[in-house]
Amino acid sequence: MDFLDFRFDAIWSYRELFIRGLWITLGLTVVGYAGGIILGLFVGLGKLSKRKWVYYPAKYYVDFFRGTPLLVQLLLIHTALIPSIVGHSLGFFVSGVVALMLNSAAYNAEIIRAGINSIETGQMEAARSLGMPHKTAMRLIILPQALRRMIPPFGNELIALMKDSSLVSMIAGSELLYAGKVVAGATLRPWEPYLTVAVLYLLLTFIFGKLISYVEKRFSNSYVPSPRKQRLSFGRTQAGG
Amino acid sequence: MLGVNKMKWLVRFAVLVIAVILVGCGTVSKNGSSSDGNSEAEAGGKKKLIVGTDATYAPMEYMDEKGNIVGIDIDIVKAVAEAAGVEVEFRNYGWEPLFPAVNSGEVDLAVSSITIDEDRKQSFDFSDPYYIANQLILVPQDSDVESFEDLKDKRISVQINTTGHMVVKDLLGNTSSKIVAAETMPLAIGEMLNGNADASVGDNVVLIDYQKNNPKVKLKTVEDDSFEKEYYGLMVKKGNKEVLEILNDGIKKIKENGKLKEITGFDVE
Repeated sequence: MDFLDFRFDAIWSYRELFIRGLWITLGLTVVGYAGGIILGLFVGLGKLSKRKWVYYPAKYYVDFFRGTPLLVQLLLIHTALIPSIVGHSLGFFVSGVVALMLNSAAYNAEIIRAGINSIETGQMEAARSLGMPHKTAMRLIILPQALRRMIPPFGNELIALMKDSSLVSMIAGSELLYAGKVVAGATLRPWEPYLTVAVLYLLLTFIFGKLISYVEKRFSNSYVPSPRKQRLSFGRTQAGG
Repeated sequence: MLGVNKMKWLVRFAVLVIAVILVGCGTVSKNGSSSDGNSEAEAGGKKKLIVGTDATYAPMEYMDEKGNIVGIDIDIVKAVAEAAGVEVEFRNYGWEPLFPAVNSGEVDLAVSSITIDEDRKQSFDFSDPYYIANQLILVPQDSDVESFEDLKDKRISVQINTTGHMVVKDLLGNTSSKIVAAETMPLAIGEMLNGNADASVGDNVVLIDYQKNNPKVKLKTVEDDSFEKEYYGLMVKKGNKEVLEILNDGIKKIKENGKLKEITGFDVE
């Protein structure tokens, strides 16, 4: 095995595929994640509901999407579900986004449920004893605290979703891994294409990681707005401010 | 059923691993060559070759109901082995892992409808051709496509990294977004049926087989003389003369005694 005999000229001539793949991976991730959060919110609140006809559908939804492999869901949606509903396929992007969205919504639902449950019951009791209705107490007392606790697992979910989006290559979706597969097949060289793909994924993970840590900082208890944004400096003069 | 097979395989694998470790830890081997891997074992005095394949390509190589690897390619290799006086054992690797497996010596040869082409010749050695294949275009019944040129502005689905994929890349450009490269030929045809592609390009034998198995699907095949005839070969690690000679010897014999024609239905020069 010769590790030092890398030839990246082939990769360069296929750069368009990789660049398009990068954008499509990003698109799948962002759209799928946004949809997953919104849908997950409903399902998560559904799982907290005391009404049976709300609770059980939510529970079965989560059970199904967490209990089956994403690849199976993807193939089901792409080759069976969408063609039989619409009459024809809507392309890999729609199938991919729908699958990623439904899948991550199930995980997000659990994050939301656990986040709300993790707030001590005393908080609700105190709010209720001050005369707040249940809804108001939820909105003003419980949810703001729970939301902060949900941020780290939501961040994990974003990165997990991005990595899972590579499965869309299985339905001929031209994302990052697909580019790697095509180039590996065309050049018969396994190292360079897959290594390139890995590095590009790392790049995306790095960007998302930065974003997540910013959001975490922004919502943390010890957050101090930066001096440049501070309108009132209480008479202290800022150097260079 | 599957459990027993799996067990057998596991036992074999374990034995292989132990053998590898023993060989690896042993002193310098007699002939001092360790060019090809540890897959060669003497089986009852006969040399045994491990054959890798991607058994997802009916009718050339695929899995039957019992999980055995079967197909035209498999029959040919069995006939070649018989003629050359060696034993063979088939292993399913999948298309992409097949190439590194040949390179590392995990398998002695690969048979998987592999077209002999210049690119591949740079990294691997091929036996004499044993099969001629031709690309076909598959389109919906009401399509007006009559030649390959007509596909210039259309979306075409292919099986990823097959010859069909290559010819379509030549037509539409290496990085064209109109190429829908699916994992398997049935999936590629599915993409066309579901409206993600206007045509499919693939090997004659596979498309004809698909039509045979799915008579209800309204499709037609279009032939185009511009497609070059392709020759399938058995692929071995570059420089593995020993195995290559055995294979060529076997292929020559089955060409002469008519066994090859019996299997495929035509002669290969």
